[in-house]
Amino acid sequence: MDSLSRDYVIFAMSAKGFNSENSRYALTEFLKIVDKYHWVNMGDMKTGGYYLVGKEAIMEGVQDTSIVHGVFTSKEDLRGAVRELKAADLGVSITISGILDNVNEVLLDNNIKRHTVEVSLGVRGRTDRLPEEELLEVTTMCGHGMVSQTFVRQMLIDIKKGKRTPEEAANYLATPCVCGVFNPRRAQELLEELVDVWCMDEN
Amino acid sequence: MRIDASKCIGCGQCRPFCIMQVIDFTRSEKGKVHCVVNEDECVDCEICYRAKVCPVDALKQPETQWPRSIRGTFSNPLAIHKETKVPGRGTEEMKTNDITNRYERGFAGMSAELGRPGIGARLRDAEKVFMALAPLGVEFEPQNPLTNLLEDPKTGKMKEEVLNEKVLSCIVETIIPLDRILEVLDAMEKVAKTIDSVFSIDLVCRADEDLSVPSLKVMEAGHRWYTRNGKTNIGLGHLNVKGADR
Repeated sequence: MDSLSRDYVIFAMSAKGFNSENSRYALTEFLKIVDKYHWVNMGDMKTGGYYLVGKEAIMEGVQDTSIVHGVFTSKEDLRGAVRELKAADLGVSITISGILDNVNEVLLDNNIKRHTVEVSLGVRGRTDRLPEEELLEVTTMCGHGMVSQTFVRQMLIDIKKGKRTPEEAANYLATPCVCGVFNPRRAQELLEELVDVWCMDEN
Repeated sequence: MRIDASKCIGCGQCRPFCIMQVIDFTRSEKGKVHCVVNEDECVDCEICYRAKVCPVDALKQPETQWPRSIRGTFSNPLAIHKETKVPGRGTEEMKTNDITNRYERGFAGMSAELGRPGIGARLRDAEKVFMALAPLGVEFEPQNPLTNLLEDPKTGKMKEEVLNEKVLSCIVETIIPLDRILEVLDAMEKVAKTIDSVFSIDLVCRADEDLSVPSLKVMEAGHRWYTRNGKTNIGLGHLNVKGADR
């Protein structure tokens, strides 16, 4: 199984002008439900991600305009969280990012019909300006692009020099991702693969 | 972003965090080494500041005026767009489609996210994409802050003063009938050859009752590639949000 099959982001938001007023209570409850499972990151676009601000600040900072996120590495945790979220009937919109067939399987297990689907058709234009595919796999885990390729390179060098473990490097890489959608365990897996095979310029 | 040269000790701790890679070392007239931001290439995302790595508090985001202010609102995910009240790129896209019905059955959302991944884009490149799509008669999403920067939605011409502004990413967002997906995709691929950045193309569609996704059938029939991962709005939203009557 590739690392993508161990990366599920579940997030919630209200629709401005429709159901956003006082939605912060439901959004907070969303996070409390996520917290019952084995999440590896969480965050709120209004406050920051777990690896920068911590869980308490995220939970206490939820606003009506928040977009709150949790990250799981297993379908089992996702399945359990979805089951509870359905039962809680929060009313806010919930979206899951991950392999579509796997997500659909989790939904069907919970008698939920998927509503709307988004896929990527790829990147066009000056692709010669992009970093290596292996680095992109790490940096693009933050949808807003807050994790720079230089930061990843620096972490690989740090691991190689023994300054950080892959786990520490991956957790540090998660800090710029304000939404808390960066999956540090998947990043760790990718770093561990890369560090052995990459020949790096340490200057 | 700006670095106070009198405070900076030139440790370079902020440099790896810069997505645009525009923080460099320089030497002052007195010979002191310090860091400097190429402000023309900086997108004001503030990630270097939020990283809290500067030991002497030398990083400072100056207050910006229009049109420079565009950079921060599009590039800093913590900023809220005043037009849509939505943080990030300023659009809810499919994430609330179970409430808004923004993408009705029979239609698809197709967007070009300029600057993504990790390159950034000048808005003149966004204008090229707008102008390539406008002649096709597509509808540009009005609830997207980039659409608000159009001078003329019919031609795709943007406001002159914003063209040189650079953002981490911004989304040209359209809603089109399903049978025009490949036509719009072809137009996007053609204009992609003329820009100095990149864009990622996203395709949104409401699932049918049998859970199939019509837009993906169009892609498969046209032998076009799409990712096996993506976003799924699971349809649990409704107007009576729990706890809202407190």
